[in-house]
Amino acid sequence: MKNYPLIPLPSRSDSLWRYTSWKKIHPSEVEEMPKSNPIIYSRGEEFQIDDSNEIARSFIHSISPVCKKISLVNEGVNLDLESSGDISSGELFVESRGDSTITIRISGDSTWTGLRINGDVTGNLSVAVINEISENSNLLRCDNWKVNRNSSLELATLSVGGNLNKSDIRVELKSKGSDLRCGIASNGSRRRNDDHHIEIEHTVGYTTSSLVMHASCNDASRSIGTGMLKICEGADGSDAGQVFRNLLLSEKARAEAIPGLEVLADDVKAAHGAASAPVDKEQLFYLSSRGLSLQESSSLIVEGFLMDAFRHVKNPDVLLNLRDGLLNHLDNLITG
Amino acid sequence: MGGELLSVNDLHVSVEGKEIIKGLSLTIKTGEIHAIMGRNGSGKSTLANVIMGHPAFEVTSGSVEFNGTPVEELEVFERARAGMFMSFQYPSTIPGVQVGTFLRKSVSAVRGEDGPNAREFRKELKSHMKSLNMDKSFLSRYVNDGFSGGEKKRLEILQMLLLNPTLALLDETDSGLDIDALRVVADGINSITSTAGCLLITHYQRLLDHVKPDFVHVMIDGKIVKTGGADLAGHLEARGYDWLEA
Repeated sequence: MKNYPLIPLPSRSDSLWRYTSWKKIHPSEVEEMPKSNPIIYSRGEEFQIDDSNEIARSFIHSISPVCKKISLVNEGVNLDLESSGDISSGELFVESRGDSTITIRISGDSTWTGLRINGDVTGNLSVAVINEISENSNLLRCDNWKVNRNSSLELATLSVGGNLNKSDIRVELKSKGSDLRCGIASNGSRRRNDDHHIEIEHTVGYTTSSLVMHASCNDASRSIGTGMLKICEGADGSDAGQVFRNLLLSEKARAEAIPGLEVLADDVKAAHGAASAPVDKEQLFYLSSRGLSLQESSSLIVEGFLMDAFRHVKNPDVLLNLRDGLLNHLDNLITG
Repeated sequence: MGGELLSVNDLHVSVEGKEIIKGLSLTIKTGEIHAIMGRNGSGKSTLANVIMGHPAFEVTSGSVEFNGTPVEELEVFERARAGMFMSFQYPSTIPGVQVGTFLRKSVSAVRGEDGPNAREFRKELKSHMKSLNMDKSFLSRYVNDGFSGGEKKRLEILQMLLLNPTLALLDETDSGLDIDALRVVADGINSITSTAGCLLITHYQRLLDHVKPDFVHVMIDGKIVKTGGADLAGHLEARGYDWLEA
């Protein structure tokens, strides 16, 4: 295994790095190994996870002074992660059994935050990751989740913090009956740049997945959503879908949505779609006719649009945390 | 009957350069129920949308006054807060917004400081939902998302009851309703007519069997060509519209 910085720099022809290059998201010069402060974890036990051949994961692994493990057995946990200093990073391993939930809030005012999450799911796990780092920060997040036999993962991300964010989320459905419901909601304003890459791999057959990403972009903000759905050879009976929707709230806002499919099995269902549009005028008229001002109507439409990315999340506690996080963020935007 | 609530005077309306309403006048007083009937495309829904303030329609001449105020001076939400309500033929879907949240925000916006507190709101809501045979599970669903035609119309009437308007514009509220649902919706309409004026847009006599109009107007090609009492709807049901064009 090659460790950073021996791993070759990635090409921008690779869809993962097309929009936010390694050079752009790196906290210093790419050949440097900067000193990093540890992310402060509200709980968890000391742990070690392996290095990776992938450049971003290996980089975070190489500079991170801390790695924690959370073990869940039929329980719900709130985990707060706080970054501080110029550069801050850490690793996290989540292991779950039975019916469990975890809400991970990432906050802090580091110039740059790197977070690597690995997860192993047996049973049913519902996860909310809420990015609410300060508006001048950059965030690099790399996830690897494995979903075991007859197990399900609800993986919801609310991305409202930071100035430049890159998330590389990978989920492997590794045994028959494993299921993923992935929802991502991103809200951009000012010059925020939010880049999500999601890879879902159906390693074996009779596995199911859905990915919904909703991004609303205001001012001169930008959202990028790239998906890669891989259905491996022999994974017959897989059922997968991915949908990307963008809501453009200003003329300067930009949103890219690029779903991708790599299907090597014969008997599968694999659907994908993408759409970008401004706020629907009929929705505005309808809400205005109920007494809501134009701003109130527009705000409610954005709130609903973003929450709709989580329509497959069934766990009420996780949904409540996501809704609270979103409402706080929208209130802060209005009140400045 | 009460004072003049809505006054439409020689109204002309265009959309994308095409004239839809071609000189229409109508006055509604508090407590009156006016029914407008007519073929598809005669301009009925356009009239309701213009009164409510839909931005796609351009008033090229004439006027609409609500309680003596020209409505052109009011934004859509200001018309709603002034007591105007429109039940939509095709209500918009608002994904991600729960019905309960939407109703609370709407009631708060329209009824303001005179509106119910949280406890009173829940009580009112429960009472109206019971009268409309609506299950409380409605409240956690997203607005009109996946609703059947009948469910959408019930939600429209629920909003009307909660917002307690002085003028209700009901655009084909009877379409998509089975007989039982029609009766429930009609009861809802009847419950507000003592304190409100009502403009019912409909194709069919059947709603008017339950909600008795004071006036029935027939619209053809953007104009009211005939006005009569409740019995006019029966004539239209039996004879159609051709005899009015002769």
